[in-house]
Amino acid sequence: MTASATTLLEGIPEKLGSATSWEEKGGALWLTLEARNVRQLATVMNEIKARFLTATAYQPAGQESAYIEYHWDCEGQLLGFRFPLPGRSIDSIYDLCEAADWVEREIHEGFDFEFPGREYEPLKLRQGDTMGVTLREEVK
Amino acid sequence: MSYKIPMGPYHPALEEPYKLDLVCEGETVTAAKLHVGFNFRNIEHLAETRNHIQVIALLERVCGICSNVHTMTLCQAMEGLCGQTPPPRARYIRTIVAELERLHSHVLWAGVAAKLMGFKTMFMTCFEVREQVMDVLQAISGNRVNYAMNRIGGVNRDIEDPQSILKMVEVLERGMVSTIIPIFTSSTTALSRCIGVGVLSKEKALSCGVVGPVARASGLAQDIRRAAPYAAYEELEFDVPVQPDGDVKARLLVRALEIMESCKIIRQALTKLPPGEINNGDGKPAFITGTSTSRLEGPRGEVIYSVSWEEGSNNPSRVHVRTPTFANMPAIRWMVIGARLADTPLIQASIDPCYSCTDR
Repeated sequence: MTASATTLLEGIPEKLGSATSWEEKGGALWLTLEARNVRQLATVMNEIKARFLTATAYQPAGQESAYIEYHWDCEGQLLGFRFPLPGRSIDSIYDLCEAADWVEREIHEGFDFEFPGREYEPLKLRQGDTMGVTLREEVK
Repeated sequence: MSYKIPMGPYHPALEEPYKLDLVCEGETVTAAKLHVGFNFRNIEHLAETRNHIQVIALLERVCGICSNVHTMTLCQAMEGLCGQTPPPRARYIRTIVAELERLHSHVLWAGVAAKLMGFKTMFMTCFEVREQVMDVLQAISGNRVNYAMNRIGGVNRDIEDPQSILKMVEVLERGMVSTIIPIFTSSTTALSRCIGVGVLSKEKALSCGVVGPVARASGLAQDIRRAAPYAAYEELEFDVPVQPDGDVKARLLVRALEIMESCKIIRQALTKLPPGEINNGDGKPAFITGTSTSRLEGPRGEVIYSVSWEEGSNNPSRVHVRTPTFANMPAIRWMVIGARLADTPLIQASIDPCYSCTDR
């Protein structure tokens, strides 16, 4: 990791109200946060000029629990942020981070997660009335 | 008076199905909306039903052009979950195949772009040179599209005679230098269709999160091979071409220069190919519970795989694929605004889109 990236990342856990510090695993630096902090996270990432990469939705098979992981790149360092989502809902960051548009729409269609604060248009699915289903269960 | 023109999902200018709804004032595009999903296969979910060998074969089918980059990224992510490191020779072979794939992908794109410019002779020239790259890939892997080169902990096939491959690479490099590069960088026919067309500013490129040659053509010097090196890239010398103008010409130049850099990388890697094993053997990998994220610089840009596994399970619990076209495509909406209607096929092609990847 570059020296400037180290400096940029140092104060971020505290800024986001995280009780834990960065944890390095699986090729990335990780923080686990509460869903209410996602917009604050997007704002902080914009401030340090980090590049939004993707978001990944998870719903372990046969379990009610769900979570979402966001990835940003800060000067070549991969950052991961994990949000447990008991209510399958997390604020949209689309207005703060244009690059998150398609991935939010895709997750909404495939996992039935809600991103309050935005409107959806069909992305992958052609029929509007099938949006917001859990494809993993439908396909079984 | 404004009017709407649908382009696609089946259209002579599109290599794969997607749809652009264009709003025009006269001949000028004032707004555009994109529709994808015509190839949606839900491969991410299918991956959860495959074991660690089957999942590689499945994900190789995400794309018919950059198939190798998908298995390489997937294997790197899975290696992170089972603590395996490929031997040095395997890292070099992965680099060589990845750069050959970049070569044939960029030359294929050049051919498609030439066709859209009405430069049909150039289209044939590009495809003739691309055949030579395919011949090299076939000589290495025995395959022309899905090379089946990658496995957890290394590669499946060795490059037994690097000198013969080096000779083939030198022949195709001469073809690039004598025809493709000069024509695309100096031909009035080619450049007159590209200069100032389909501009994506640096600010918009940052905001949209575009990757690969599209980002580098808008002045963003981002390349995962340099920023977060993998395989053997840290041990090889190469430049990252960047152009500031953000138009179709800049995207064309970046790819032309990258063709030369790929040849340089392949030559170095073949010359320095270290001796030794090409993989870690046939033992079943011991996966730990967790998530591993891997990134590679594919021909179209950064490919990201997030793979999750539960210890003791035969299958991954989640495989998420972020393809470069998924990141680049939304930017087309901004590139076509203010453009002539006749230029929109070339503008959309200038990001080298892959809808198969996008829809995965």
